Amino acid sequence: MYKILLSLIILSSNTVLAMDGMHNHDSHNHNKHQDMTYVDGSKTKITDEMFSSFSAGLSNTQIVIVDVQGMVCDFCARGIEKTFNDDKDVKKVDVSLDKGKVMIAYSMNKKVDLDEIKNIFLSNGQTATGIVIRKV
Amino acid sequence: MGIINKTVIILLLVVTTDAAFSRPISWSGGSTIMYKTNSMYSSYYYHYSPLYKYSLGLEYINDRHFNDQYINLKTTYLLGRKNTKSSQANLYLTGGVSTKSKNNHFYGVHGDWETRRLFASFSVINKDTDVKDYTENELTFGVAPYLGEYNDLHTWVMVKAKKDTIKNNWETYPFMKFFKGDSLVEIGAKNSHWDIHYMLRF
Repeated sequence: MYKILLSLIILSSNTVLAMDGMHNHDSHNHNKHQDMTYVDGSKTKITDEMFSSFSAGLSNTQIVIVDVQGMVCDFCARGIEKTFNDDKDVKKVDVSLDKGKVMIAYSMNKKVDLDEIKNIFLSNGQTATGIVIRKV
Repeated sequence: MGIINKTVIILLLVVTTDAAFSRPISWSGGSTIMYKTNSMYSSYYYHYSPLYKYSLGLEYINDRHFNDQYINLKTTYLLGRKNTKSSQANLYLTGGVSTKSKNNHFYGVHGDWETRRLFASFSVINKDTDVKDYTENELTFGVAPYLGEYNDLHTWVMVKAKKDTIKNNWETYPFMKFFKGDSLVEIGAKNSHWDIHYMLRF
């Protein structure tokens, strides 16, 4: 009985729980200009206070602000900070569980690859739904 | 072998092959070390996640009750994940074998749902052993008394309920979970003995 139950759960999971982040990218223009909204910028707004606090002391920097889904646990979000900090062009990373945002400060000579950023979140278990780049 | 010893072996296998550790898969390229100790055994478990979809692990068991040592090989596969703005749900397939004997292995499913305030999980694990085959069901619920920010100390009040097809009755016990940074500690009391679980991710 349990083996049947197990089989049903496994089969149904593939349809009920669609893997996030595997949507069709054809509708996006990934080579668009870095000052433009990537997915849905309306979700990616942060307060001036948050941005000022994060960007304090930074110059000649591009700051990527990411709206993240599924980032509900500090322990499970550790990989985000670790993965971005492995990039030598990353100056600073800030995670806000309350806002569901991550801010990453890149040096200006970094060619920001938005698909790469989305994949980093996916490989850490979260889904990036909105990305905006600002320059300071 | 007496019925008491058989029962103890089965109970030991139940707890040592516990597949419901918090988040059985890490981020892509991430590693996890776990240490668990209670009145009957200690275990050291290491697992590595080549991708965020699965993990491979080895668990060394030091069985103090029978003065025995052996290794469990475990794997967990992410069947599906649903992220929303305020929650995450996961469904995993898990399985493993033990060096204790070729007849010792287990497989099953494990699911969890979590917000910043609430946690719930279930698992249904079928375990085959030299002594007896059985199924273990487990439910866990938790609530965070406060919402910490990133890098804060996070605290959860949890309760776990277990039922297996040997004893066929639910056993419920509370525990606390704390985590900060890369470290997580679970402390509970089960059958008048401390049950401590430490986890480090890197």
